[in-house]
Amino acid sequence: MAVMAVHQFAQCITCHAWSPDQSMVALCPNNNEVHIYRLVEDKWEKVHVLQKHDQVISGIDWSTRSNRIVTASHDRNSYVWNLEGSEWVPTLVILRLNRAALCVQWSPKENKFAVGSGAKTVCICYYEQENNWWVSKLIRKRHDSSVTSVSWHPDNILLATTSTDGKCRVFSTLIKGVDAKDSKKGTSSDSKFGELIVQLDLSSSWTFGVKWSPSGNTLAYAGHNSMIYFVDDVGPSPLAQNVVFRDLPLRDVLFVSERKVIGVGFDCNPMVFAADERGIWSFVRYLGERKAASSGPRYGSQFSEAFGKFYGQSKHGVSNDAVETSRARGTVHENCINCIMPLGDHGTLIRRFSTSGLDGRIVVWDLENEQDLLEL
Amino acid sequence: MASTLRLYLTCIRNTLEAAMCLQNFPCQEVERHNKPEVELKTSPELLLNPVLICRNEAEKCLIETSINSLRISLKVKQADELENILTKKFLRFLSMRAEAFQVLRRKPVQGYDISFLITNYHCEEMQKHKLIDFIVQFMESKMMFLFAFSTTFPTFKVATFTDLLTLIKR
Repeated sequence: MAVMAVHQFAQCITCHAWSPDQSMVALCPNNNEVHIYRLVEDKWEKVHVLQKHDQVISGIDWSTRSNRIVTASHDRNSYVWNLEGSEWVPTLVILRLNRAALCVQWSPKENKFAVGSGAKTVCICYYEQENNWWVSKLIRKRHDSSVTSVSWHPDNILLATTSTDGKCRVFSTLIKGVDAKDSKKGTSSDSKFGELIVQLDLSSSWTFGVKWSPSGNTLAYAGHNSMIYFVDDVGPSPLAQNVVFRDLPLRDVLFVSERKVIGVGFDCNPMVFAADERGIWSFVRYLGERKAASSGPRYGSQFSEAFGKFYGQSKHGVSNDAVETSRARGTVHENCINCIMPLGDHGTLIRRFSTSGLDGRIVVWDLENEQDLLEL
Repeated sequence: MASTLRLYLTCIRNTLEAAMCLQNFPCQEVERHNKPEVELKTSPELLLNPVLICRNEAEKCLIETSINSLRISLKVKQADELENILTKKFLRFLSMRAEAFQVLRRKPVQGYDISFLITNYHCEEMQKHKLIDFIVQFMESKMMFLFAFSTTFPTFKVATFTDLLTLIKR
């Protein structure tokens, strides 16, 4: 099994993020607080509680270099938390939204972050030094429904979004003064802020969990129709593929290499997808072990069942249920997995990652011992 | 008879397993609200296609799904006048105690006998497969109950009718 560690932190976890050195984890226990746990002598200990939001926190991101936490919540606000001494100090970011914020992510250079919202807009926030606050610029009138996921391209300019209208869009987020240096050498130097680069209309249902590959050449996102979509050469003429799998839909994806993707979702078990030498993506296998299907149902005749229930008797050794009961789906997680985060060096090859779900667990997975996956 | 019931319940179980993929989703129309989208139906893109599972014309199950909520409506077989009265009394008894069930809707959907409303909060608090078991066993027990009465007292229907009514009204 690929599981390294299982920790039960809460009854339900909405999202989680790791500190740069992986010694602390920030998670939201499905309320308006962020709990920060630190590993002290092989035991997790709660060291901070960040309380500023007044509704459920929907996104947490912890930057790797500047050590700042950004949170987004259903109360339409976002906070940037800076560590000053031993306390986390919040800075309110006025997103100018009138609906809930649904997801948040730092850009690769950590000079701005993106927030997707139920107001059908995306906010790009950057820090203004002269006024000492965070400014929010909105990408408006581009989405037809709530923005469920955002993902930054490694070049810090392009942003991919997914929406509950089933589309995946790529925008330019060029901001003068913030991206001034890059605009001179980048190929997208002539694009303006909020310009729609690509619109992908592959899914007939809601889409979630968009991610770029480490090189920025491939885009992957999950649809609610139990499909995962891969788009290569994102640009004027992208190459799109979709992989259909037979189980429940996915909620988030993670590129662990240029040609390997881990998908997590309602099946409570991470799935591995990989591309072969020709670039054809396919489902490989589950990471956790599947439970064997239950044996066939045992049932007597209809009449004997009726008598049994009517007289309140239960037959010895025989189940009265005519249909077999359902089984819990996962082996490690017991409810939907809604968040997957890489661990260790954020380079092009990821060996360890963590998942959190609605059962309140954070599970750390390691692909080091999975020989068949390493050879892919 | 037993075979069609088993197939009917298995089909409902599999459909519920696929439909019960719910998540927390705040309202797109009203700020700071969180409402079951399957009841509001304000955003058509948040609704999935309803699924109607029929065993025959008199027994059916309607499953309506949205991004954060799920509504299950059942119509149970009522072969004669006695079963009609029993069903009405029993389901009204249940509806008046809807709070205890948590997932029971107080008023059934038009054209159906009883309705359940499952939201993402129920999926977070309870185990999903136990929720599915509850609904499927509810349907099974309901049918067993009616079937037991029909087959156990076929020749004493008239005499038992008055006694049953007295017992139910008590």
